[in-house]
Amino acid sequence: MNDSRKPEAEPTTHFGYQTVPESEKAKKVAEVFHSVAAKYDLMNDLMSGGVHRLWKRFTIELSGARPGNRVLDIAGGTGDLTRQFSRIVGPTGEVVLADINASMLMVGRDKLLDSGVTGNVSFVQADAEALPFPDNHFDVVTIAFGLRNVTHKDAAIRSMLRVLKPGGRLLVLEFSKPTNPLFGKVYDLYSFTALPLFGKLITNDSASYRYLAESIRMHPDQETLKGMMEEAGFERVTYHNMTGGIVALHRGVKP
Amino acid sequence: MLSTALLAAVERGLNPLLALDAVAMARLARLQGKVLAIDCAAPALQIYLLPGADGIRLAAHWEAEVDCTLRAPASELLRLATSRDKVAVLHGPLVELDGDAAALTELADILQSLELDWEYQLGGWIGPLGAALLGSRLRGAAGWAGDSLGSLRQNLAEYLAEESRTLVGRREAEARFSELDELKLALDRLEARVERLGGGTRTS
Repeated sequence: MNDSRKPEAEPTTHFGYQTVPESEKAKKVAEVFHSVAAKYDLMNDLMSGGVHRLWKRFTIELSGARPGNRVLDIAGGTGDLTRQFSRIVGPTGEVVLADINASMLMVGRDKLLDSGVTGNVSFVQADAEALPFPDNHFDVVTIAFGLRNVTHKDAAIRSMLRVLKPGGRLLVLEFSKPTNPLFGKVYDLYSFTALPLFGKLITNDSASYRYLAESIRMHPDQETLKGMMEEAGFERVTYHNMTGGIVALHRGVKP
Repeated sequence: MLSTALLAAVERGLNPLLALDAVAMARLARLQGKVLAIDCAAPALQIYLLPGADGIRLAAHWEAEVDCTLRAPASELLRLATSRDKVAVLHGPLVELDGDAAALTELADILQSLELDWEYQLGGWIGPLGAALLGSRLRGAAGWAGDSLGSLRQNLAEYLAEESRTLVGRREAEARFSELDELKLALDRLEARVERLGGGTRTS
């Protein structure tokens, strides 16, 4: 007997400008980050001219973290935010650096341990869409330059809401849409020519940096992301544009 | 963002300097977790200081609770930074202080009593012998310059007061002021006596 039913088509999502089956995206993103992990910090400094440090500083300043707090740094990568949070929360607090990518997590762990950041920091390999933490557990959750790589952003935001304590804050630092169209054109030119070139020269991998530029364009703009956070259940959602809107910091509070 | 960038640059310059004084770093570590806000009234500017074992972190914004807020115009803040008697400045009418004042005075004291061991750091570049030689030369030169300046100040004062008689000397002026005080007191006594005499004449 022949089965006349067609196999159900798997939902698709975007990977940069490509459309891929949802199950493929995480694998492809993982390949990108395995490839760039070793030179991640160097490339960040080179591509942003060091300005990414200021974006992260501002995130820390707006986090409202204080001694004794429990902080979750999702997609924490090489630990730039974790290092600062570790200092702020002190020995009575706790910082969890979570990343889905083992290579990035190892680079981050080695870097933090080498610089003496220990005691109140733990490292967890975790998927932002299904965070392995109890409900109402953290005072602050941050995700810096990670949300655009997540397959189901809504699920990730809901998961972050779940693990936050009532009154806790979520901070999403992510590339966004330049506010000035002319500046946007210059930024596009830079992204699609200089970034892959840097990638080729430094990591011998231009494709990963082409993906970076494409994934930024596919990421929701400021207002859309704000709406997504509100829809997930966050209150008092605001955002701050930085460097002409290249990057935006969204902040929401769990009711 | 501009203020964040400026403060990041200042922090980058300040902390290696603080690291030259091991005692200061140990004292700063004791203030770890404290957040001090400096609210300059004129010009309007707010800076947050977060001391810790790795120096002082500066921030343009801070959303968490602040342990101590100091509000004052820039002139008073400058006085506070340079004055030996910080408590007197803090009690001034233009200065407002909320919260843990002890943390603020401790931080101010750490910054004022910095003793930078630049010779040790220099030793890392040119070797201990070179650093010691250069250090002794520089200390000698600084001592000579200090002595010369003191001597010049004394000679100039003597010349102006004693030789050219352009200015009145300090001791001479003090003697005159003392005589004037005596005279004023004598006059006051005389005035009181005359008043008593006048009163006595009226009653009799």
